[in-house]
Amino acid sequence: MTAYYVVNFIYVLHYIAMAAQRLSHTAALILKALSLNYRFGFEIMEVTGLPSGTVYPALRRLERDKLVQSDWEPEAEAIEHARPARRYYQITKAGKAVVLSATERYPLLARLIPEKQA
Amino acid sequence: MTSSLPSPLPVLDRTLLYFACKLVPLAERSDWLRCWQAELWHRHHLRSSELRSNAIDLYPGLVRDALWLCAESIRMAFAGTASLCLGLLTIVLVLAGMPLFAFSGSTHTLFGLLPSNAGRFLCEATLVTLVSFATGSRTIEHESPAALVSRFRAQFFLAAKLALVLIIAFLLSLDMTLPFHTAHPFIAEIIQPQFFVFIALLGLRWNFQDQDNRCKHCLRELASPSRVGRPSWNFLDSNSTELLCKDGHGLLSVPEIETSWRRSSHWIAS
Repeated sequence: MTAYYVVNFIYVLHYIAMAAQRLSHTAALILKALSLNYRFGFEIMEVTGLPSGTVYPALRRLERDKLVQSDWEPEAEAIEHARPARRYYQITKAGKAVVLSATERYPLLARLIPEKQA
Repeated sequence: MTSSLPSPLPVLDRTLLYFACKLVPLAERSDWLRCWQAELWHRHHLRSSELRSNAIDLYPGLVRDALWLCAESIRMAFAGTASLCLGLLTIVLVLAGMPLFAFSGSTHTLFGLLPSNAGRFLCEATLVTLVSFATGSRTIEHESPAALVSRFRAQFFLAAKLALVLIIAFLLSLDMTLPFHTAHPFIAEIIQPQFFVFIALLGLRWNFQDQDNRCKHCLRELASPSRVGRPSWNFLDSNSTELLCKDGHGLLSVPEIETSWRRSSHWIAS
């Protein structure tokens, strides 16, 4: 059984390594922003400086590859602030591992995006 | 269209949303529309005054997002299907015929060239097909036999691929030998069948493998290969790779090594 887990673990590591190699600068930048708690497409645009035509399709691709997951804001919260609910994005566990290896690959990535202020 | 928003969007935004949402697949349209209405609304009602009322920079994102969803739905619908495979083979066939067309100069010469080679093609193709079927085809055990229509469709697909692969191989072999056919006709006559046999054998081998790795019901390529069992248990338990049909029609279990109790792949229909 231990061997089974070891093999699976190696597969996961291999997947992460492959994903990190395939990751473009743009995708790495977006993932980094998401890992720093920027949650909305528009926020990501502002913080990365990337155009909307790049950010939104990239978010879709990352979601398809299961590095990101999206959900809707609670309706009650939006109504309370008299605004429509927005779709927000969150980085997944696999996405976090990928962004970690991408940061090792592109060290400047860590300095490009500031931490989100609460 | 903007009824769920606290205040309506400008006419330009609504017009763009109306046309762009036509590109989005029906199943995802309402979600996409809701998402972009919210994005545009927030863009117009930002607190920072310098960015307020400037939603134009979101327009490329909106259109590209709709286009991406449209392209993705087409990709998902056609990826790995039999029709895509036949379509691609037809494109390769046309590409393989192009050098021949360029060399012969006109369609008239080309159509004159093909009948003169038809007899040779039929002879070579028959031999290669017989050898390939004798050595390359594998049997797949079916837990429950597929419907007659599915079996007929699978056989038709195999035959169509076979014909296309053989014609492509023949055209490629002619492409390679025709340039020096006038200078060294004897050498060209000898080399051409060898090229053909080599390309056709490779092509037919691919054809059988491709056929094995397709769903027996919908002929879509099987995906998500997963290892089942352990190599050390070869003679005790299943040690195979399982491939799934994306549409859930069944799974194919391919044994890692041939055993007396498990000689061939096993198709288990859902």
